[in-house]
Amino acid sequence: MMASSVVSTTPGRNHVRILVIEDEPKAGDYLQHGLTESGYVVDLARNGLDGLHLALESSYDAIVLDVMMPHMDGWQVIARLREKADTPVLFLSARGELQDRIKGLELGADDYLVKPFSFAELLARLRTLMRRGPSRQEETITIGDLQIDVLKRKVTRADVKLVLTNKEFALLQFFVTHQGEVLSRTLIASQVWDMNFDSDTNVVDVAVRRLRQKIDEPFEGPPLIHTVRGVGYRCELQT
Amino acid sequence: MMLRALTTRLVLLFALLSLIVLSCVGTLLYQGLDTQLSLRDDAALVTRVDQIRTVLQDANTMDLIRQKPRLFENMMGNHEALLVLKFAGAAPLVEINPGHVPIPNLRPLPVGAPIELFAVHRMFDASGTPFSALAATVRTADPKGDLLITAGRVMTERSQLLEAYRIRIISMVGIGVLLSAIVALFFTRVGLRPLRRLAGQIGEIGITSLDTRLQRASAPVELVPLIDGFNVMLDRLTTGFAQMAQLSADMAHELRTPISNLLGQTEVALSQSRTGDYYEALLVSNFEEFQRLSRMMDSMLFLARSEQPDALIEPVTLDLADEFQRIADYFEGLLEERNLRLDLQGDGSVTADPILLRRALANLIANAIQYADADSVIILSSAQQADEVTLSVENHGPVIPQQQCERLFDRFYRADESRRGSAHASGLGLSIVRSIMALHHGRSSVTSASGITRFSLIFQKSYVG
Repeated sequence: MMASSVVSTTPGRNHVRILVIEDEPKAGDYLQHGLTESGYVVDLARNGLDGLHLALESSYDAIVLDVMMPHMDGWQVIARLREKADTPVLFLSARGELQDRIKGLELGADDYLVKPFSFAELLARLRTLMRRGPSRQEETITIGDLQIDVLKRKVTRADVKLVLTNKEFALLQFFVTHQGEVLSRTLIASQVWDMNFDSDTNVVDVAVRRLRQKIDEPFEGPPLIHTVRGVGYRCELQT
Repeated sequence: MMLRALTTRLVLLFALLSLIVLSCVGTLLYQGLDTQLSLRDDAALVTRVDQIRTVLQDANTMDLIRQKPRLFENMMGNHEALLVLKFAGAAPLVEINPGHVPIPNLRPLPVGAPIELFAVHRMFDASGTPFSALAATVRTADPKGDLLITAGRVMTERSQLLEAYRIRIISMVGIGVLLSAIVALFFTRVGLRPLRRLAGQIGEIGITSLDTRLQRASAPVELVPLIDGFNVMLDRLTTGFAQMAQLSADMAHELRTPISNLLGQTEVALSQSRTGDYYEALLVSNFEEFQRLSRMMDSMLFLARSEQPDALIEPVTLDLADEFQRIADYFEGLLEERNLRLDLQGDGSVTADPILLRRALANLIANAIQYADADSVIILSSAQQADEVTLSVENHGPVIPQQQCERLFDRFYRADESRRGSAHASGLGLSIVRSIMALHHGRSSVTSASGITRFSLIFQKSYVG
């Protein structure tokens, strides 16, 4: 049943090392906890100086760096870090002004996330940062008994041909290429519809519900799209 | 800089003016007196010489002179006077010169010539005092021939008089200038009193007394435009302040519901031991409330930032057919669930920031879907005018009363009170639309009549960001 062409975007996850530099105790704790549970090896530094020291001493695949810290702030850390290493850095900041983003990117940050952010969003950004080179575009994707022909835009499940609208197809494709990841509504809206803002509407919920009505509900096989309560959705073949 | 004070400027101006005027008048008076006195003195000299000549024509007089030369001295009776009588080539017969003036060598008027003013020579003596002199010849019976009369006068007294007069004039000018400066100071103070009163009134206006207005009734005409301008500014400030206060109050109220939920349900949960499922449900519920707070905060921040004068947007030319289709795709599911149809009309392009345009359109469509009658059509259309592009969203639904239409774009305003507290209605959607249009130097409007509600976004074509 399981096809060999299942796309996994997180190969060798247990070797991936991430450094979190965050002075706020609760934030540091939950970031370390959440990232560890997501399969990363996480080191936590509670101030800029320790963080810079760790970042220069050992090698990390990515660094999550808080901007506002006493003594040595995130700007200084990255400036010193960039003299020696080009480890991908994701900035966390409570300031979302365009000037701050530009400053962060000019100093060599690879991404910039404004607090408060959803943890799923952080995971998605980190994955993008660490993805080496362009992701391979599969011609056909199979998950369980669902088959997607990406080029011909055809979807079958249990050999039944399914008729999807363009956006339903795009949504399904986004789900199956991010299997196992929790996808927030904001991320889905941004990636599938290019709507880059938090909306008050439940458009994403409706779209996912309608997609399920077509690909999950009519079939006896295990459901592919799961609700992660409160957070968003995850596409996974649970066995 | 002292000159920046109006009082100083006016006083100096007045003083300068009176200095000029008084100096001119003083100079004229002085010169007039000087001329008059000179003429009088010259005439006196002429008269004297004329008299002496007449007297000397009498032979007896000559004898008298020879016998009593002091007589003339007494006759002159004045130590300013000079009189020399002598025959040509001889020693002076009479020399009266109490001032010891060097006797000038003048060309005398010939015998019999009339003695007139122009014959008077004006000179200065060694000390610089004016000195007038006149010489004439007279035929006498004496065999020595013609007698030369040289008469003169040193104007010491006149000089002293004029000197005193000059000092007097200069001090009068000085006193006049000083007086006018004092008067100017007084009148400027009085004249500027309304300004000080105004400053006093303005100084008393604080946040709590923004409703005071400056009185224009007793104010000078020149100050009326200032007063009117200031009052208009106060009007705007009052409105702005009231809005801001209202906004803070509204915001606190809006925060109250989610925070009350969070506090309450967490407190209840913690009051005794619960199952894992219960905790999970609680966390999910809390999570939803936090998301709601987060969204509200984002919207408030967006609105606050968009009001800053240097807010940045990145407008590009966007194809409207593309943008409309994107919106239609986004709302596809929601529309079908409500049995609504979205009609896209019009094409062309618009210059706008893509993210902001999509956000504005999405907010309007979400609003339209919320209020549309079941099974109706929502129309998303564009119209190109000469210098504007209008994008409209039209839905069939309950008519919104006119007075509510005006407030729809206000923050936290809900035409439908029952939606307050609903997780998906922040009450900020239309405010964001208005802010987005303001950022584009455009405007938004709404009309509602005959069962159709229509929101319009009007973009200026000339605006290029």
